[in-house]
Amino acid sequence: MMRARWFRTASGVASALSAALFLALPAIVLAQTELVVWHAYRGDEKAAFEKVVAEYNAANAASGVKVATLAVPYDAFADKITAAVPRGKGPDIFIYAQDRLGGWVEAGNTIEPIDFYVDDVTKGRFLPTTMQAMTYKGQIFGLPLNYKVITMVYNKKLVASAPKTSGELVKLAKTLTDPAVGKFGLAYWYSNFYYHAPLMNAFGGGVFDVSGKPMLNAPANVQSLDLILKWANQDAILPAEPSTALVTSLFNDGKAAIVLSGPWFLGEIAKTIDYGLAPLPTIDEAGGKPMRPWMTVEGVYIAAASKSKEAAYEFVKYVTDLAAAKILAVEGRQTPAIKAVYDDPKVGQDPILKVFREQVENAVPMPNSVEMTMVWSPVSTAMNTIVQKSATPQAAMEAAQKEVVDAIGRLRKQ
Amino acid sequence: MTKSWTHRRRFALGVVLATLLGVGIGAALLSRSLKQQGLSREGRTAVITLGALTEVVQQTGGQGDTLRAAIAEFAAAQERIRSIRVISLSGARLDASTAPEDAGEKAAPRRLAPDEKPLFDQGQRIRAAVQTNLDEGAARKEEIEIRPAVGGGLELAGPYELNGSMAGIVRIETVALPLPPRPNPLVATLLIVGTTILFILLSLGLGERPRRLAIVSGAIVLLAVAAYGRYAALRTSGEIRASEAAASARVSEDEAIASAVLEATGIAADLPLSADRWDTDIFRRSRTGSGDEAGSGAGRAAAEERVTRSQANAAGVITRTTIALGLLSVGLLLFVGLGVMGRGAAGFVRHRHAYAYALPALIGMLVLVFFPFFYGIALSFTGSTIYNSDKPITEIWTGLKNFTEILGNFQIAKQTAGGLVFDYQNFYWTLLFTVVWTISNVTIGVTIGLLLALILNTKGLALRPIYRVLLIFPWAMPNYITALIWKGMFHQQFGVANQLIQVFGGQPIAWFEKTGTAFVTVLATNGWLSFPFMMVISLGALQSIPSDLYEAARVDGATRWQQFRSVTLPSLKPALIPAIILSVIWTFNQFNVIYLVTGGEPAHSTELLITQAYKFAFEQYRYGYAAAYSTVIFLILLVYGIWQNKVTRATEGI
Repeated sequence: MMRARWFRTASGVASALSAALFLALPAIVLAQTELVVWHAYRGDEKAAFEKVVAEYNAANAASGVKVATLAVPYDAFADKITAAVPRGKGPDIFIYAQDRLGGWVEAGNTIEPIDFYVDDVTKGRFLPTTMQAMTYKGQIFGLPLNYKVITMVYNKKLVASAPKTSGELVKLAKTLTDPAVGKFGLAYWYSNFYYHAPLMNAFGGGVFDVSGKPMLNAPANVQSLDLILKWANQDAILPAEPSTALVTSLFNDGKAAIVLSGPWFLGEIAKTIDYGLAPLPTIDEAGGKPMRPWMTVEGVYIAAASKSKEAAYEFVKYVTDLAAAKILAVEGRQTPAIKAVYDDPKVGQDPILKVFREQVENAVPMPNSVEMTMVWSPVSTAMNTIVQKSATPQAAMEAAQKEVVDAIGRLRKQ
Repeated sequence: MTKSWTHRRRFALGVVLATLLGVGIGAALLSRSLKQQGLSREGRTAVITLGALTEVVQQTGGQGDTLRAAIAEFAAAQERIRSIRVISLSGARLDASTAPEDAGEKAAPRRLAPDEKPLFDQGQRIRAAVQTNLDEGAARKEEIEIRPAVGGGLELAGPYELNGSMAGIVRIETVALPLPPRPNPLVATLLIVGTTILFILLSLGLGERPRRLAIVSGAIVLLAVAAYGRYAALRTSGEIRASEAAASARVSEDEAIASAVLEATGIAADLPLSADRWDTDIFRRSRTGSGDEAGSGAGRAAAEERVTRSQANAAGVITRTTIALGLLSVGLLLFVGLGVMGRGAAGFVRHRHAYAYALPALIGMLVLVFFPFFYGIALSFTGSTIYNSDKPITEIWTGLKNFTEILGNFQIAKQTAGGLVFDYQNFYWTLLFTVVWTISNVTIGVTIGLLLALILNTKGLALRPIYRVLLIFPWAMPNYITALIWKGMFHQQFGVANQLIQVFGGQPIAWFEKTGTAFVTVLATNGWLSFPFMMVISLGALQSIPSDLYEAARVDGATRWQQFRSVTLPSLKPALIPAIILSVIWTFNQFNVIYLVTGGEPAHSTELLITQAYKFAFEQYRYGYAAAYSTVIFLILLVYGIWQNKVTRATEGI
């Protein structure tokens, strides 16, 4: 009795289930390839990026590819990628700066190499240095979306026309400096290695040589540090113990005439300050060579765990292409890596974007190797001791060089 | 229940279980090692064939019909090869293939299809590996990739060069080699049975004397394990010799095939084959040394020496394993024989409900606490870094190397021309700093906390609740905000500290320039953060001291200081001591304050052990080393905790 009833119920459930399955079947067959994109954008950038994605989805509705975006907080972004992707989870596509690229490639199973897909036409549409930032050990791992560089930001009330050479800069800055009331002609975080890089690169210095060996103690690097000491002590145009917070508050109080900083700084400028942007000056001491800031490039990468890499690449190509770049530049205030977008007057004539575009001609992609992470700590120590005059540039950079070489040696030995 | 078990029976059971364990694990290990020996032989011979093939590919110029003819000939002649593919990187082309799926429409030469992207990526990976190893002057990245193939056998890929630069990869799939025979199960069985019988016979004469039984049974078990170790050593050294023989046989076989192929395809060997360079590891480093004398008398002597060396290595490993297994077995024997197991099991059965209730919590602890903890400990014995984090722990095992590197370096300071130069990254400096930091912080916290508590405890103090709230405030604020505010206050030009100094006519101080002044900044910050806790604890304890104690003291004519010494302090002790213990551990690992205020500056001299460990892991990517560092921190705190526990128990006794 019991058994019979049980059987009847069971068969009823089964037939209902199969009917449901049957109804659901067409939906499953038509099921789209869903691509998940992780980004760390907020505000206008996020809105612009989502608009690009929406347009892509509308255009590709027929092909069954649907792109979904997920904003992941910036602080947690890299760690989430490192933890999720090698275990087969996480997004299909993600957007991040190139500084972690080497680490992800070395750790393996995180970023998909895309040389196989990238043709010469695609490669040629980007600013060459941004493409270089996406390349690690000769392999391409992403397409560049935008770049960020340091330029000169000046207070228009204090500076009539931006200085073009370091001689002009120092001369102008001296007239605007009065340490007694905390006024400075020039303010930037010169004790930070990243902010010092433009000067270092002007002298032809750098962190790694062509074969990737550290060269912190190179004469060019030392020369650039000597110049910063001259600016800070003899010319006395710079505040002591600089930091981003200090630079921002000085500029907003009208106490700093010229600031060297990147696009992130623009959002922090007070509404009352009338500011202008100009490319970094040339350095007389370096034979008239321009200051060349480090460029961080945001790349669009395909996760190694993605199930639909070809579809993902189509999206990567789209989002780095002209139509998307226009939206991202005009509405998201980004500086796209694609060259053609600057032919558009809305972008090319924009007083801010125009300067970034000009500056990028004299910019160096920041190293994307793992070894770079081992440079920051020793080099910060060196920069601090140099600025505080507890060691000469030569001695401090020798110490940093030794520490970096040791750290790299130990890392590779094991 | 234990009564019914005589010592003899227990020891007999112990002998059976211990031999089963020792010899059983030994057999499993031997079986695995023989299998690995077989696989590595398979890999090595396949690499030799790949080397021969690569040379043929290079001699044909890397493309055209000659290449395809040569490949086909080679695949036909070498029976270990299932298929060959030659892929050139420029243009992502398949230049030649003998794989059955590359026939008809898909016959080579052609561009790689979209679904063949992994082949191209492999080529790129190998090219990057070759370049990396060249740049670094080291062998870090695999230049020859070996993977198990789908249908048994191996898949190998290695680079081929044209005109001095890498042009593409040669890929082969091989047919599986037969593995060496497994260890004979008869040996293990005989040992286990024989040991048991021997013990039973001997125990008849020994009677119920546990000590003698323990010695005799222990000796017998050790003997059995050692005998199996001997067997393992014999088998292993035989296999090592066989591997060497197989390799040199393969070299001559492939040399014959390669020259025949080159002759048949009409490429007269104007360049002699360099067969002596085919026997390489995955970094394309020759196993046969310079290789010039291979085949000659000296070459044979070198090969013989190589065999002896790896046999000696293997013997060392086997000896160590045997000793470890022997100790393990004797441990089990004594555990069973001395009745510990019986008592433990009885206790478990008696309290089975309690164990059942505790089980969910135990499982939770196991997953959330013990697994990460033991994983960290295991990691501390490896050379794990970002470059090899995907490898299993056994492959990167380095033993105690990390610990000797951390603890064995006593060079804290070096005498140079310019005076003493400290190595602030030295473990002992950091330890010294951490200890000084902990002691001074706890002292400051307790002193200020107690002082404020005494003030707040004054009878009839107006607005007391308001003061209390205000004084707890530093504790209530997130400590990273506090830390950043304090860092700002010590700014050279704009910080409050220097402004104050200037008001009183002093010179501004560069706080973060010298170790001493940097220490003052973190001390101030952490003092600010830690006194409210001590104050709350002291205040609570103060209010619980009965007032008649003070009354009695006053009647006896005690001064206020005497009242404080003899009444207040002893009454505070039970509350303060646990608080101090906690506070020491918190301060010892106070990551936020150091990391945010000084960041270890200047030159890592204000680094705590915990911030230093963080830097090793996340700035230098030396995971194993950082894990060892953390293990040392744990051990220090463990010792402290045990010692403190004793002290506390002593105070409770008062």
